[in-house]
Amino acid sequence: MGFDTVLMQTWRIREPVMWLCEQITGNRKTYGMNLIGGVRRDITSEQKPKILEVVDRIEKEWLAVIDAIGGDTPLMMRLKGVGVLKHSDAVNYCVTGPTARGSGVAIDSRVDHPYCAYDYLIPEKKVQEGCDNLARTLVRLEETIESIRLVRQGIKELPEGPIMAEIPEEIPPGREGVRVVEAPRGEAIHYVLTGENNRPYRWKVRAPTYMNLESVPVMIQGMELADVPIAIASYDPCFSCTERLEVVDRKSGKIRVYTNEELITLSRKKSGR
Amino acid sequence: MMFKSKLKEAIICFKAGRVTMPFPLGPELHPPGDGFRGKIEVDMEKCIGCGGCANVCPARLIELSDSETTRIIEYFLKRCTYCGRCAEVCPEDAITMTREYQLATNDNNDLYIRNELYMGTCGRCGRCFKPQSALDKMMVTGFRQKTEGK
Repeated sequence: MGFDTVLMQTWRIREPVMWLCEQITGNRKTYGMNLIGGVRRDITSEQKPKILEVVDRIEKEWLAVIDAIGGDTPLMMRLKGVGVLKHSDAVNYCVTGPTARGSGVAIDSRVDHPYCAYDYLIPEKKVQEGCDNLARTLVRLEETIESIRLVRQGIKELPEGPIMAEIPEEIPPGREGVRVVEAPRGEAIHYVLTGENNRPYRWKVRAPTYMNLESVPVMIQGMELADVPIAIASYDPCFSCTERLEVVDRKSGKIRVYTNEELITLSRKKSGR
Repeated sequence: MMFKSKLKEAIICFKAGRVTMPFPLGPELHPPGDGFRGKIEVDMEKCIGCGGCANVCPARLIELSDSETTRIIEYFLKRCTYCGRCAEVCPEDAITMTREYQLATNDNNDLYIRNELYMGTCGRCGRCFKPQSALDKMMVTGFRQKTEGK
């Protein structure tokens, strides 16, 4: 969009969060925190005031950013009424997360199917009826403030106790598990089939981009070319989740990556077009 | 309206000032926090070759291969996700997570550790195995001789 000022400033605001994650989990991005049965590290009493301090600072700076960009006319002109995904299209294409909530579809798996601690920490669904880029952006802006509230509540009401459950026996093979989790981009669905030796036999992930990407042709219909990148970026795609397919032959260990043409041919063959 | 908004944006930028840090040649202004998990370090003196680390490694970068008397343990650290499970399960604390994080390299060998561990040979099947106790091991390897002059 050529509006790097806010991009860079939001990255600056984000940086203390990354440092905080590093202190709590031991790494910036690949946290390695969750195991079957619980988490590996507890939040210590020294870390709690630090978290609250960072959260306070982020809230102040974030509100300042929202206040500043609210009246930015060129920015609004590029967002308002561009990349319209109608409510009916959003329902038909099964889009998830902020993309759906920006089109007035009130779904949030944290509220609809509560997991982990979301029985106690109830997030408020932030829904916008605008259906355009601006609506999706506003959903994200408001959800940041909502997340800050959840962090504060979580720190306050965090109970004491063990952080890891003991699992003395091996997990039996052939058991299945499916779970929907609300990721920042939408619903992430994981399916696991357990196998021998305490290892998973099959693991299928459906990342939210897989669903949101389907809606792009409708979203960009009749638009000017210069607006297309903004419309695509407005639902925050993660193409690495959907880009390619790698097939490993288990006997010979050979890896084969399917090309774009091969995938199109295969999918056309499958769908009979 | 727009002018006011741009002014506010400018104020945010000026207030923040310069926040980028010199990297990697400058001084380290923001060292990693306590409990940071960086590159693993293996102390082969302590390793007993139990293979627990290879069993739990999610990226399966620790590979064991046996010859008659020695067990070869290879660590392909280019695949490491720094989860620290190996250090957690190691019964002898032979693996530690260092604070080293600047691991970008042109050479794969910089991120490769190979260790050979003398075990013992099973008299019946001929495969290498861990003797029952440290005492049994000494019966095979012999006691460490006192070095001259010390």
